[in-house]
Amino acid sequence: MATIELQELTRRFGDVVALDSLELEVASGEFVSLLGPSGCGKTTALRIVAGFEWPDSGRVLVAGRDVLDLPANRRNMGMVFQAYSLFPNMTAQQNVEFGLRVRRRPKHDRSKRAAELLDLVGLAAQKDRYPRQLSGGQQQRVALARCLAIEPSVLLLDEPLSALDAKVRVQLREEVRRIQLELGITTLYVTHDQEEALSVSDRVAVMSSGRIEQIGSPAEIYGHPRTPFVASFVGTMNHLEATVVSSAAGKVRCGPAVLDVGLSAASHSDGDVVTMYVRPEHVHVVALAPGQDMPPELFEGKVTSLTFLGPVTRVGIASALGGLLADVSSSMALSLAIDSTVGVSIEAGSLRSLALT
Amino acid sequence: MTTPAVLADGLPGDVGRKRAAISRRGQARRGGRTRFPLWSWFWIGFAALYFLVPVFSLVQFSFGGTLANGRSAGFHWFLAVFDDPAFRSSFWLSAQIAFETVALSLLLMVPTVFWVHLRLPRLKPVMDFVSVLPFVVPPIVLVVGLEPFLQNFTWLYSRPEVLPFIYVVFALPFLYRSIDAGLRAIDLRTLSEAASNLGASTFGALARVVLPNLRSAVIGGSLLTFAIAMGEYTIASLLLFNTFPVYIFYIGQGPAAHEATALSVISLLLTWIAMAALFVIGRGGRETAQLGVTK
Ligand SMILES: Nc1ncnc2c1ncn2[C@@H]1O[C@H](COP(=O)(O)OP(=O)(O)OP(=O)(O)O)[C@@H](O)[C@H]1O
Ligand SMILES: [Mg+2]
Repeated sequence: MATIELQELTRRFGDVVALDSLELEVASGEFVSLLGPSGCGKTTALRIVAGFEWPDSGRVLVAGRDVLDLPANRRNMGMVFQAYSLFPNMTAQQNVEFGLRVRRRPKHDRSKRAAELLDLVGLAAQKDRYPRQLSGGQQQRVALARCLAIEPSVLLLDEPLSALDAKVRVQLREEVRRIQLELGITTLYVTHDQEEALSVSDRVAVMSSGRIEQIGSPAEIYGHPRTPFVASFVGTMNHLEATVVSSAAGKVRCGPAVLDVGLSAASHSDGDVVTMYVRPEHVHVVALAPGQDMPPELFEGKVTSLTFLGPVTRVGIASALGGLLADVSSSMALSLAIDSTVGVSIEAGSLRSLALT
Repeated sequence: MTTPAVLADGLPGDVGRKRAAISRRGQARRGGRTRFPLWSWFWIGFAALYFLVPVFSLVQFSFGGTLANGRSAGFHWFLAVFDDPAFRSSFWLSAQIAFETVALSLLLMVPTVFWVHLRLPRLKPVMDFVSVLPFVVPPIVLVVGLEPFLQNFTWLYSRPEVLPFIYVVFALPFLYRSIDAGLRAIDLRTLSEAASNLGASTFGALARVVLPNLRSAVIGGSLLTFAIAMGEYTIASLLLFNTFPVYIFYIGQGPAAHEATALSVISLLLTWIAMAALFVIGRGGRETAQLGVTK
């Protein structure tokens, strides 16, 4: 299988800089997602790799070879499009065979390969259906089988699931991942759905304004965001304004409280104002019995909102540290009421300034 | 000879709109079925009479009259027409010209419209404008303008093969509109990108993916083009070619009135066959489209 390297890719559309010196390396057999908000250049990057768009400058290497001078039909890449792209005049089977027919493979090879691939995507029984007789999810499966039929060097997917409903989306993304692992094919997957990116990728590249803000494993991206953009784009994050009290000891003051950041704050000097980040699941809430005093290790907070999210309930809290969101188990949340006073603590080591991680 | 005028009513673009209007009306009628049935029937009957009486008289007359031997004519006039070598030569000439016009128009328009849709969408308004020009410029103006130009090509000018090159202009609106409508109905960009991603060349994508999906649009536009080329009178007669319409006019001028009406019936039949074909193709297209919506 092949590696993909994007080197200093820049693409402008008039005043819009769609790609700004984009750098990305995808290892052989790796599944990398490009994750970012609408308009950040994900599609543009993918289309440049596929040969439907050209950069103003930069290089695209696939398996070490510059592919920019090859037309799209000579690049041997598989692409699944966001819009339904099956040929309406052909059955599922004929769609899958298309690439092989173009390559003049003998009929018997073609139908054997098409049957294998339709089987792989679980649509063997629907091989004689026309696209209009298939559901959206089935159409995208056939589209996947169709581009795998040509044994592409890399697989490119541009939000292939965005037109499907939530349940099918989850099911199909797992299937895409299963097939990708089975074939070991290098895959570049574009999405703006963070859950999708985090759940199926080897690595996630978070993009913003034509650049990659951070690339890393899903756990790294979620647990150790390196820029404010990644911190606020991926998952939910609490932001706390704080002042560095002791950079040597890693202590900051936040409101009335002095918090132990637990990490060296060497890159800051005492007195610097920093933003601290903490995920809602690392903020703990304790309901107080009536008349009970606030334990000294907790901060006082007041419940301002309760949002039921299934297994957890997201609690909005006004505290001396500022506004906080905390995820508590929904059964525990039953004992909370709006405007009730609660004790709040922040899990040791979970509070970080981006520069400290 | 007003074949084109009759057919102009059946522009594919219009057909779709009309059909939509008809089905809307159908629904409305289902809602208030008993409102004015009498008046509707009256007007339908009136319109039918208005159209059908002349046609009926024409057909009757073409079978009418008595022969020298005292028997009624029956198919005599038709047979007489078919027997006339001038009929056969003019008919085949027109058919040949019509085929050439269709071929030339398709060669010219399909790749052009495809390219404009895919690569030069900004030119679409220009194309829309250019495509209606033949409606605005009367044939007589066109031929007066063309004549001095064509005289530069004497080898072509004196031969009927020049006509397809002129008729292409008349066919332009019909063919352009129907191909344009056909292309709008598919996601051209995604389909052709998918095809080229799978290894097809631009031509391969056009031939294997785009054209098959434009089948009904192309056939519909071609039939209209064929009918126009088959029925065009002004230019052929001004340039002194003996095409089918010119022949009909010539017979009509002479004393053989029955033969002339038999000829008219023949040309009406041709037109109706073309219309019926259009209708059948159009319906096929609609069924596919409806199925396409059902997921
Ligand atoms: N053909 C084009 N002409 C002009 N501007 C373009 C073109 N293609 C993309 N752009 C612009 O480039 C930027 C990046 O577009 P791109 O489609 O790559 O975004 P994206 O990350 O895929 O967004 P989305 O999630 O909405 O699909 C956008 O601002 C877009 O408006
Ligand atoms: Mg996009």
